[in-house]
Amino acid sequence: MNFIKELSKGIVKENPIFVIVLGLCPTLAVTTSVDNGLGMGLAATFVLICSNIIISLIKDITPVKIRIPIYIVVIAAFVSIVDMAMAAYVPGLHKALGLFIPLIVVNCIILGRAEAFASKNSMMDSLADGIGMGLGFTLSLVIIASIREILGNGTWLKIAVMPKTYEPMLVAILAPGAFITLGFLMALMNMMKEKK
Amino acid sequence: MKYYIKLSLILLVFCAVASGILAYVNSLTEPVIRDRKAKEEIATRSELIPEADFTEAKFADGSLYYIATSTATKDTLGYTFIAAQNGYSGKVQTMVGVDNNLQVIKIKVIDQSETPGLGANCTGDAFQAQFAGLGEADMLVDKDGGKIKSLSGATITTRTIANSIAAQIAALKSARGGR
Amino acid sequence: MGYIGEIFVMAMTAIFIQNFVLARFLGLCPYLGVSKKLDSAFGMGMAVVFVMTMASAFTFVIYKYLLVPYNLLYLQTIAFILTIAALVQFVEMVIQKNAPALYKSLGVYLPLITTNCAVLGVAILNTKAMRTDGITAYNFLDAVLNGFFSGVGFTFVLLAMAGIRERLEFVDMPKSMRGMPIALILAGIMALAFYGFMGFKI
Repeated sequence: MNFIKELSKGIVKENPIFVIVLGLCPTLAVTTSVDNGLGMGLAATFVLICSNIIISLIKDITPVKIRIPIYIVVIAAFVSIVDMAMAAYVPGLHKALGLFIPLIVVNCIILGRAEAFASKNSMMDSLADGIGMGLGFTLSLVIIASIREILGNGTWLKIAVMPKTYEPMLVAILAPGAFITLGFLMALMNMMKEKK
Repeated sequence: MKYYIKLSLILLVFCAVASGILAYVNSLTEPVIRDRKAKEEIATRSELIPEADFTEAKFADGSLYYIATSTATKDTLGYTFIAAQNGYSGKVQTMVGVDNNLQVIKIKVIDQSETPGLGANCTGDAFQAQFAGLGEADMLVDKDGGKIKSLSGATITTRTIANSIAAQIAALKSARGGR
Repeated sequence: MGYIGEIFVMAMTAIFIQNFVLARFLGLCPYLGVSKKLDSAFGMGMAVVFVMTMASAFTFVIYKYLLVPYNLLYLQTIAFILTIAALVQFVEMVIQKNAPALYKSLGVYLPLITTNCAVLGVAILNTKAMRTDGITAYNFLDAVLNGFFSGVGFTFVLLAMAGIRERLEFVDMPKSMRGMPIALILAGIMALAFYGFMGFKI
């Protein structure tokens, strides 16, 4: 029961992007198309799950004073593994995400969950937390990317969804569009919260 | 003091284990990456000049280009090379196939990290197709009085590709002995 | 165009044309998190300039004389982030001991910088960056200067943002837009303005 609870909280109630507002850099940078957003979300989810598991397992042998450097080493190791695996097996995606794959290391969500959750809870709970937070992150990326790709390119996952007469709003794919899209999405979330 | 040494040792152990694992993963993925790159290059070459065999040759600066000979008749069909220059954000690499008169047959942008929505559109077919039939002297974008239509909002990217190709054609010319 | 000219181009590129925050999406968390007040934004900015310059220097040496010659490029991420973490810790200790006044104004921001992706970002970008001729890789001085100017660019937009947000406090707007949403839209408009610098030829 607990497992389900820990898993589901990351998707809506404690959504890392819309509610806790962590890990914005990759969120805005790679959401120019849905496949990039999805790829980034899954890569970060993998790292999050693995680092959560390892950190919850080693919590008893980790000295408090040097816990942050140790977390960073664990996270950086998994990020490098993802980096190499993606370069070998999904080169197109690896190229599109570029700099932001190594930068998963400093994604505040991952270190944040390590410090706030995995270092205090059991392995199973940490696993659920990792999956939930990862899915919440991925879902948010896909939502933002969908809006930007549809508005800015008239496509969704590279399939044309808008009528032929639609003139793409290029700004949605460019940097300003990223900020403005997320800004309005957050305002929408706030509005729904107020209504309740 | 003793406590700090213990801490450093613990951290060191973690680093060592992590490095070991990474070295192992690297040894698994590195050949895959190298293999795939080589295969991709071969595939792109035959896409630019189909039905040809390629032999390696070297520019004056030591970089490689390839001489294409027809598989059927063994005549020289042309050359392929990689043209690279810095664009708006990082290197833009284009593989180019030219015929014996050094006119472009076809180009393909193989590596770029330009702005999505603007410069990144240089991988589009319509953009790349307009390079066909152009020679060294025609490598000018419309803003500079040439025939190549710039990508909207990305003149720099377009100019980069044109300039890099012109430079490599010139290098090829001198490699052929000035012809 | 001599070396001074090249440095000028690098400075303009890092501050305006390819601004770390608005064009590259790096360092967004502090950009949105520490931009509520002008003076704390200034403190954060200075700390970032300092750490980015130092980090560029150290990671460049590690990259060039350790990772490349011994073929250890796969350790790049882990080596860079540990260097930055150690550097931040060290800087914190030194400032705390020798300049308590400075520590008071910068101290709280230093730990946050380890996870500022602009720092790791500049370190990685330096290994890939090219001089204006498009062929030569950065040398040590280039890397350090690029780190410095990128930090300045970050501080520049952070201060601009903080200045606007301080005034926004008094603006009447829908409740759901307050705080983060309006800050993001503001950032979007700033990014749009910075697109005016795009394509500048120096």
